[in-house]
Amino acid sequence: MRYKSASVPGNLLIIGLSILFGLPVILLILLALGQFWRFPDVLPPTYSLDAFRRVVSTDSDLLRGLLLSLLVSVTVALTATSLGFLVARAVARSARPDRWVTLSYLPYALPPVLLAVLIQPSVIRLRLSGSLGGVMLGLLLVTLPFTTLFFRSFWSRQASQYEQLAQTLGCTPVQALTRVLLPLARPLLVTCLFQAFLIGWFDFGLTNFLSVGKVRTLPVQVFTYVREANSRLAAVASLLLIFPPAVLLWVNKSAIVPRTIIRH
Amino acid sequence: MSSKQTNTLLLTVYALLVVGLPLMGLGTALLSSLGVAGPLARGFTTQYWQQLGAGGGLFSSLLYSLYITLVSLGLSVGIALALVLAGGSTLNRQPFPTLLYVPLLVPSLVMGFYLFQLLSRAGWLSRITYQLGLTSRIEAFPELVQDAAGTGIILAQILMAFPFFTLLFRTLYTDARLDELRNLTKTLGASDRQFRQRVAIPVLLRRASPTLVLFGVASMGAYDIPLLLGRTYPQMVSIFVTDRLSRFDLQEIPVGYGAGFLVAVLMMGSIGWLARTAQNYAL
Repeated sequence: MRYKSASVPGNLLIIGLSILFGLPVILLILLALGQFWRFPDVLPPTYSLDAFRRVVSTDSDLLRGLLLSLLVSVTVALTATSLGFLVARAVARSARPDRWVTLSYLPYALPPVLLAVLIQPSVIRLRLSGSLGGVMLGLLLVTLPFTTLFFRSFWSRQASQYEQLAQTLGCTPVQALTRVLLPLARPLLVTCLFQAFLIGWFDFGLTNFLSVGKVRTLPVQVFTYVREANSRLAAVASLLLIFPPAVLLWVNKSAIVPRTIIRH
Repeated sequence: MSSKQTNTLLLTVYALLVVGLPLMGLGTALLSSLGVAGPLARGFTTQYWQQLGAGGGLFSSLLYSLYITLVSLGLSVGIALALVLAGGSTLNRQPFPTLLYVPLLVPSLVMGFYLFQLLSRAGWLSRITYQLGLTSRIEAFPELVQDAAGTGIILAQILMAFPFFTLLFRTLYTDARLDELRNLTKTLGASDRQFRQRVAIPVLLRRASPTLVLFGVASMGAYDIPLLLGRTYPQMVSIFVTDRLSRFDLQEIPVGYGAGFLVAVLMMGSIGWLARTAQNYAL
């Protein structure tokens, strides 16, 4: 059966999916704004913005968590994207690129938390346990193979030919990279940067395990508030977590879905 | 430094991080579980492995994780295939593409929190059923989170996965030019149902198999969602392992590492086997 443009099943599907995907945001907003909301009330008896005001107060845990999450995610995204771009080039020029590609999938054979369990002794030995450095190392372990695989398609024969042509015309290797290859790869770099940012932004298990709860990023705070049965602040932290990806979706949809996964 | 030397250096550092660190961790986990390494190392012993096998907790966790993975993966794939094959070009028109991206913005931890607020006995659905007179007290609402069947976990996994699979299958449908194949099969006398069952579904599943395997691994090792929506028994494997490593009893740490080692090896082995099977049978 194939729906026509304004068919009833098509419209029903739109309504159904809108309710299904819109309900989380509505419920989170109600939880964040509602006061004294107890069973069996369907809607909160009173509303207040005080939970949101806590985000902008200077001694706020939420503000600190937000800034920490931004710091971790931006640093990891910048490092993984720039390194991944260069590692993908090295992989493309190696004797056995296929082997490197297979090895790059190794961290994906394990869920992030199990990966954290395995690398924890090394992180302790490096004296990075419970620190920001340990969390970033763990996140790099997940994001770097992703960015390397992401740029695999860019380093084709054509990219090498452009680089050689630039060097034949008098560019140094650095000039060929900065003036020819980086502008060519710009759309991919932007998408990869966004996706690596999201991996760090969404992570909870690896961060919580490696930092022993000491690096209190926004997801860690969501979990803490849930455990403390503080639904209002958990909802505010959840909405803060959803906000940056929503902006990304508004700016560019392709930044959200990994192309390497989509294009199998 | 020449370009070749730079590449060699980059690849060495990359290999140390991406392969060296996890493999070293795997080795350390094994040695810790055998009493050879770690803070409790007192010489070779199989005591921790016997402890691990005695309770049967790990086996139950593995079975429970497998059950959650198979059910959530099966249902997500089924819903996505139904949407792509029945919806056809409707899915390419607004607001569908944007709508399907929305769940990808929600971290799994937030999805778990939302479903807890929605489905628990004091949650939103329970309040609505109470106000509608469908339930008379809080206990009359069915247990949908932290239940033995893992309903909440499965629902969360499906909500997060089926939009992604729909986007994936929609892209693959176009890439494989299945509309042209549909016309061809019709010309040869096949019905729509035969086209879906014998052409479209096998082609889409074959092309999506690497992503489905990766999703299976992610689902099997899910942590955030079962942490909020799961029970203390049975636990999913990631929770089982981290739980043992976070206990105050130091004797549990080598047992936790043993469990971590075993689960990691089983997962890597399964992926290797699935990848080989997919290659052999051109899945």
